[in-house]
Amino acid sequence: MIPTIGHAAIVVGLALTVYAAVAFVVGARGGDGRLLVSARRAVIGTFACAAIGSAAMMASLLTHDFSVRYVAENNATTTPPFISAISLWAALEGSILFWTLLATGWASLVLWWNRDRHPALMPWVGATLASVNAFFFAVMTWPGNPFVRTTPVAAEGIGPNALLQNHPFMALHPPMLYLGYTGLAVPFAFGVAALVTGRLDEAWLRIVRRWTLIPWTFLSLGIVAGAWWSYEVLGWGGYWAWDPVENAALLPWLTATAFIHSSMVAERRSSLKAWTAALVIATFVLTLVGTFLTRSGILASVHSFTESGIGPWFLAAILLALGIALSLLVWRLPQVTGGGRPSGLLSRESAFLFNNVLFLGLTFAVLFGTLLPLIAVSTSGATISVGRVWFDRVTVPIVIALLFLMGIGPALPWGQASWRTIRERFTVPLLAAAIISAGAFVLGIRDPGPLGILALAVFVGAIMIDEVVRGARSRARARGENGATATWRLTTRNRRRYGGYAVHLGILVMAVAIAVSSGLATDRTVTLAAGESATIAGYRITNERVVVEPLSNDARVIETRAELTYEGSQSGSLATAQRDYPSSATPIATPAVRTSLAEDLYVTLLAADPATGSVTLHIFVNPLVVWIWIGGAIVGLGAVFAIWPERRVRTLAVAERRAVPVPTTPEGA
Amino acid sequence: MTVREPAPAALPPRRRPWGILVLVIVVLGVIVFLAISSIGNALVYYLTPSELLARGDAAVGDTIRLGGQVEPGSVHGEPTDLVFVLTDGTAEIPVHSTAAPTRSFQEGRGAVVEGTLGADGTFEADQVIVKHDENYVAPSSGALPSDRAFDPGSDE
Repeated sequence: MIPTIGHAAIVVGLALTVYAAVAFVVGARGGDGRLLVSARRAVIGTFACAAIGSAAMMASLLTHDFSVRYVAENNATTTPPFISAISLWAALEGSILFWTLLATGWASLVLWWNRDRHPALMPWVGATLASVNAFFFAVMTWPGNPFVRTTPVAAEGIGPNALLQNHPFMALHPPMLYLGYTGLAVPFAFGVAALVTGRLDEAWLRIVRRWTLIPWTFLSLGIVAGAWWSYEVLGWGGYWAWDPVENAALLPWLTATAFIHSSMVAERRSSLKAWTAALVIATFVLTLVGTFLTRSGILASVHSFTESGIGPWFLAAILLALGIALSLLVWRLPQVTGGGRPSGLLSRESAFLFNNVLFLGLTFAVLFGTLLPLIAVSTSGATISVGRVWFDRVTVPIVIALLFLMGIGPALPWGQASWRTIRERFTVPLLAAAIISAGAFVLGIRDPGPLGILALAVFVGAIMIDEVVRGARSRARARGENGATATWRLTTRNRRRYGGYAVHLGILVMAVAIAVSSGLATDRTVTLAAGESATIAGYRITNERVVVEPLSNDARVIETRAELTYEGSQSGSLATAQRDYPSSATPIATPAVRTSLAEDLYVTLLAADPATGSVTLHIFVNPLVVWIWIGGAIVGLGAVFAIWPERRVRTLAVAERRAVPVPTTPEGA
Repeated sequence: MTVREPAPAALPPRRRPWGILVLVIVVLGVIVFLAISSIGNALVYYLTPSELLARGDAAVGDTIRLGGQVEPGSVHGEPTDLVFVLTDGTAEIPVHSTAAPTRSFQEGRGAVVEGTLGADGTFEADQVIVKHDENYVAPSSGALPSDRAFDPGSDE
């Protein structure tokens, strides 16, 4: 019964979203307001349908209804409720259902939020979002139906993906990533709407930047949380492997980040408008490409789901979206090019320009590396993989150049910087970078990679601090405020700028942590007999015993556990295990991570002999890893600070005190 | 900053930003150069024992991932100094591994190792690839991913 309701909801959702798309177009062309209202309601109806579908799937999982194939393949009677619930996004069909839930949610939110705004744009925004959602409903109606039934009904299911069960973080990063992915359809819809109506103006840029920043924040947090999951769960001691699925999340993030930067130039200098529209289109298409690559089974990955028939559907959708959007762009090109004012090489706009060149270069490099195995297998039949070595070698120089721009860009004035300004703003940061890296060298950090990144980070950080201090000081002088008040008001009244600085700060922290943790990590593989010890990077690790027993909360899972003690800058005991899941042919490593602000002790069990009590361990000492997650949190907080509405509240307050005329300021997006 | 500049009154004549254009081209050129020049030693070929044998001496020194089945009875040595034979049913390659294998490494099971082929025909593996995915299987005769999922206990 419940699966039937779920399936019906999907079919109704498809009908509603097709109706909405058509009604938006007809209503926009005929100026029929009632039709537009009904179209908006239909979109909210599709959200309800997706919610019913998702609830039906979750109920089927929680009640272990093995008549549904998805449940039989991803659930077992012993699966704990929490794992059953999050299995909604554990495999292909369920993840598309969950995706549709979020996509229709975004569409409803955008249309409802702007129900009285942007009357020219919104029908086309609605039509685009409804069309995109129609694709996902269609996929669930035909090739990827999550509610396919099986007969005879099995008494027991296969159980969820072992990796899903092994760590609660699985509940965290997929929803974040999906919220980011699905949300990036919104700026795309605004892009299409602006191209259709010819309103690619400054107001449009402000709307789109805000609606890009929100999903961008989710995507950023999702990427960091995914790296964290990879580090805590997979047991190879690292957090980023240039796996296709990681790249798939990174690609739209790169183009969205490029958009956030170029939109500022477009707004300020009236140039680069066609370019920003192209970035919005590229970002959305890359979310589809990423999903296609990783969900269709054509690239092997940590996350590769079983092969399915959705590949051609995604390919068709990608080509259709790209074709329509690019045709619109070319059609409007004569109207959106031009404008702009001359600017010198040493100016903020040229910093932004190079920022975009580098982000796009990075996007193409990552895309190239991700697709190369496909190209090779189809042209020469050779099965190859592109190793981390290649990605590191190509991306690291680009990232370093971007970090450098991140420092000088915000400190350069628009137009043309004079040598005096440059001397004034960059002398102290350069000196600070020189002194601190010299100090680090004396203290014993000799590795050029970490040392260079440290110098760069100090340089960029000093510029940022200088910018804030300079701004606060001039405000304090002009308004007679004290330092703290001036700083608070300066930042909260220019949220976009200072939120951006906070994001930059988070990126800096991450960059240093990544450089140090990958450059200065120590690892060793040791085999220890019972009671034997080994010393690595200041830690003395002793093999106490080997235990083999079923898990207390799921007796079908057998755990082989090495119980160890460690002494060093942290001391205590830890257990690192391998678990045999009935659904997995290979045992799943459960690494033990002991985190401190300075370094992580990370131990993976490679082999254990319960008879003799000997264990083979891979031991890592990874410095500063926790700062990657802290940096990620700073990025998230900075983005929220930047998104947080300021003017709206003030405008309302102003409206209440209508008597006082207030000079209008452009809305900060 | 959200404060707007005063409207541009008289624009100076628009000049082509040649300096910027040249720099953009240089930057793009460097990226393309980096991408192409690093390919040579960063690509890892994925081969079965027969494919590796077919390459002969040409494969010596290249980084290769070798996937096959661990020949029953061929495993000798310590976890970090292991000798065994990988086979795909037609060809056999002796492997010497300095990397500790995971517990999924068992006789008769599929395994993937990364390393180089030595001049003496022994494959020197410095890495046993852990694919964290139960859908992934090393190539072996007639194994299907789905077989595994339904019957985890079977030795192919």
